[in-house]
Amino acid sequence: MQWFTGLRCSLIASALFITTLLCSAGAAAADLSAASSEPSPSELPPPELHAVERPAQVADDAEQVVVGSPYLDMHTGPGRGYPVFHVAEYGETLWLLKRRTDWIKVALRRGQTGWVRVADLNELYGADGELVRVPLPDFRDLDSRRFNLGFTYGDFDGADSMGLSLGYRFTANLSAELRATQAVGAFSDSQTYQLAVVHQPFPQWRLSPYFMLGTGLTITSPNATIVATEDRRDTAMLTGVGVKTYLSRRFALRAEVANHYLLTSREDNQEIFEWKLGFDVYL
Amino acid sequence: METGFRRLSVAALLCAGISSAWAQGSDDPLGGLVSPDLERREIREAQIDSENIEVTAYLGGIMNVEDFGSNALYGGALAYHINEDLFMEAAYGQSELGESSYERLSGSAPLLTDEQRKLSYYDLSLAWNLFPGEYFLFDKLALNSSFYLIGGIGNTDFADDSHFTYNVGAGVRVLTSDWLAVRLDFRDRVFDHEIFGEAQTTNNLSAQLGVSVFF
Repeated sequence: MQWFTGLRCSLIASALFITTLLCSAGAAAADLSAASSEPSPSELPPPELHAVERPAQVADDAEQVVVGSPYLDMHTGPGRGYPVFHVAEYGETLWLLKRRTDWIKVALRRGQTGWVRVADLNELYGADGELVRVPLPDFRDLDSRRFNLGFTYGDFDGADSMGLSLGYRFTANLSAELRATQAVGAFSDSQTYQLAVVHQPFPQWRLSPYFMLGTGLTITSPNATIVATEDRRDTAMLTGVGVKTYLSRRFALRAEVANHYLLTSREDNQEIFEWKLGFDVYL
Repeated sequence: METGFRRLSVAALLCAGISSAWAQGSDDPLGGLVSPDLERREIREAQIDSENIEVTAYLGGIMNVEDFGSNALYGGALAYHINEDLFMEAAYGQSELGESSYERLSGSAPLLTDEQRKLSYYDLSLAWNLFPGEYFLFDKLALNSSFYLIGGIGNTDFADDSHFTYNVGAGVRVLTSDWLAVRLDFRDRVFDHEIFGEAQTTNNLSAQLGVSVFF
């Protein structure tokens, strides 16, 4: 009877997954057109371009641009707490050296280097007078295909578990996820390796639910001090629901519950309930 | 459904409008006056190298395992900087268990074999750069730094057993250049073990000095 309930649970979850998949396709397409990120032009005209000699310490592949905003604060380090020590003016030439998180290191004509905030760089002009944009990844850019990396903590059938996940978003609603979990319990330790399809029917919501279907391998090793048995390797089917909430442009918290249905070689298949809390970062 | 109909009717109207404009052709008296005079803006993305990954090697470290003394710690960490405030880190380390005071005082056979005294851990943590700042050295040198709080979960393996481990700690990172930093890290690893017969929760402190490279 138990296997029947398990199967029924999985079937219901699958049905939910597919219905929401169909329902949301239209809604997502409509939202996509709204979420275009165009830099806002200011009242100032694009600055005139002058030939400027590249400072000796600037690498050849560093991109040369001209400031189009009225001014640009340069900090001593890549963070809001580091002091502003210089201000680049409208029309000044600078070179983009490297990026760390949401800050860019720039060099000026006279060799000063400092860090500017990416959000302040919405008006830079290239050699041909074209607008140069520095991308700021954002979960709301639903049309961009991105990887996300996450850590989780949870409970796997009574055992503490730690997890790592790497996802890739194909469309606004659908992602694939590789998941690895290590659980340490009083009677047995287990490892799971899974590939799952994750469907987010409403990706633009602040609190966005998701459904998950997957399959993988579960390795269970009973603790040697209690009983001497061999490791078991079972194929597992995964169904789950969860919710994601975005705290910032790239950082999301997630909570989920999942049902692992282990297809064992014993008489009964085994069912495992798992919950997880964790975070995801858009790379 | 309603939006679908609305969209359809707008599309139909547009088609009708365009076809009527075609039909008028050059007879349009306003043709030269209201031609759009907007220049198309060309936009491209900047080519720029991101350095958000930090690899740390522990140059020297010491780990105390409760009841088993302190021993040298070797290891490293791989971090991804999410924004100026947060970074996530996966770490690995190796140490050894010494002789417990019970083994030394009672003179009985050792509790663990040499193989069982080898300890290794790995963990996943999230850290918060709580106090970014600068250290001033002499007249003209200021080094960027940050004091961070870190915590996470992991696994510690020793005595043929895995132990689920919580870790909390704090550290200081001093950047000698944009890509090279020195880190001093203090951590408490909390796990349960049953080596002495009954389960006990242990606090195991470690301190390590590391060098890290950003790329």
